[in-house]
Amino acid sequence: MPFDIDHSDSRPIYVQIMDEIRRGIVVGAWRPEEPLPSVRQLAVELRVNPRTVQQAYGELERDGVLYVRRGQGTFVAARANGADRQALLQEVARRLLHEAYRHGFDVDELTAALQREANQPDNTQEA
Amino acid sequence: MPEPIPTTLPAQELAVRTRGLTKRYGRVAAVTGLDLTVPEGAFYLLLGPNGAGKTTTFRMLMGNLRPTSGSAEVAGVTASPAGQVRVRMGFVPEHQDGPYGWMRTGDLIRHHAGYFPAWNDAYARRLADAFELRPEVRYGKLSKGQARRVQLLMALAHTPPVLLLDEPTDGLDPVARDTVQAILAEHLAGYPTTVIVATHLVYEMERFADYVGVLGAGRLVAQMERATLQAQLRRYVLDVAEDWHPPLEAELPLLRQNGTPRERRWTIWGPEEEVTRRLSAAGARVRSVSALNLDEAALALLSRKENR
Repeated sequence: MPFDIDHSDSRPIYVQIMDEIRRGIVVGAWRPEEPLPSVRQLAVELRVNPRTVQQAYGELERDGVLYVRRGQGTFVAARANGADRQALLQEVARRLLHEAYRHGFDVDELTAALQREANQPDNTQEA
Repeated sequence: MPEPIPTTLPAQELAVRTRGLTKRYGRVAAVTGLDLTVPEGAFYLLLGPNGAGKTTTFRMLMGNLRPTSGSAEVAGVTASPAGQVRVRMGFVPEHQDGPYGWMRTGDLIRHHAGYFPAWNDAYARRLADAFELRPEVRYGKLSKGQARRVQLLMALAHTPPVLLLDEPTDGLDPVARDTVQAILAEHLAGYPTTVIVATHLVYEMERFADYVGVLGAGRLVAQMERATLQAQLRRYVLDVAEDWHPPLEAELPLLRQNGTPRERRWTIWGPEEEVTRRLSAAGARVRSVSALNLDEAALALLSRKENR
């Protein structure tokens, strides 16, 4: 299975599929010009409705992330993923901020805590 | 503002439609004035507690039970005991007991196949392999989970335009459940099918759902695209003063509330931006907003009904 769907996640399933494919491309799990699983394959692997996979592929195609070669399947588009990387980082930041607000912290407190956490000796690799 | 919670879908090609479908037993109403609209190709999840009328509705769709009033149409044919509607449907009943317990599983499947001109024998064998069925065992000796898989095979193998599944994963162990989910995904990719699933085990089927109907005490409380439900129903966590006076229900459709006096957790129907604006205007600080899973959403919609 290329990734997992989290059914307790509040994002719709097609959005999760889109996010995971974008993430896979950014981290290099999928490279430009590589083929993706067919709609049927991915639907069976994830145990979801094929229409949902179709919807995710369709939107990613419209966004220029994927393209379809007639009769051959769906492929990762050959383009720089710098913009996607930035968008992904922005999304991570948005989630962190949301979680911080929920716990009653503001952006300055969160930033300072992130810096402290990154400076912990055990965490230098991730930072 | 508030837009009422929808119970009707916009006009489109429908695979299943009922009009004012009603079933009474004496003075007891099992189903009242049901207007189900299930679009072609939909995976429609019919949710509701036990006794809400799901099984009664299915029996009327099958033509096995005559409605007290109203009508049901399936794949363009009016449901009636005459039976033309049945060959257009695959049905997995909630209860598996019937008069066939003495038959060997393989014979039962062959007997069943005889009723369906569209029966696909090669597909039936593939399903039997995937489900690890043993044709020589008497049907009555099967466990609940094994019998459920036989029923699923019999429902799928004639690739009907409409599938009615009543608690399809009830009694399945985790491995069998996973197999059933994989086979359903494959079936949907291979054959154009409209599916209606009645279940209270929401979690196991919500992965497929794109339409949702909620039945409470025999009436449709809500019917809409799943995406609409996911977008419009939200839980808001509010910081408020203990003596806070909330906006009126007429302005803000509150479905459920819990939390503490100073941190309230409200489930509200409506566009998030507008709801947030109204809450803020009323002096509440919106700490977080989150979507609900289908189980929670169905509970919220049903509790609203009870509150009235």
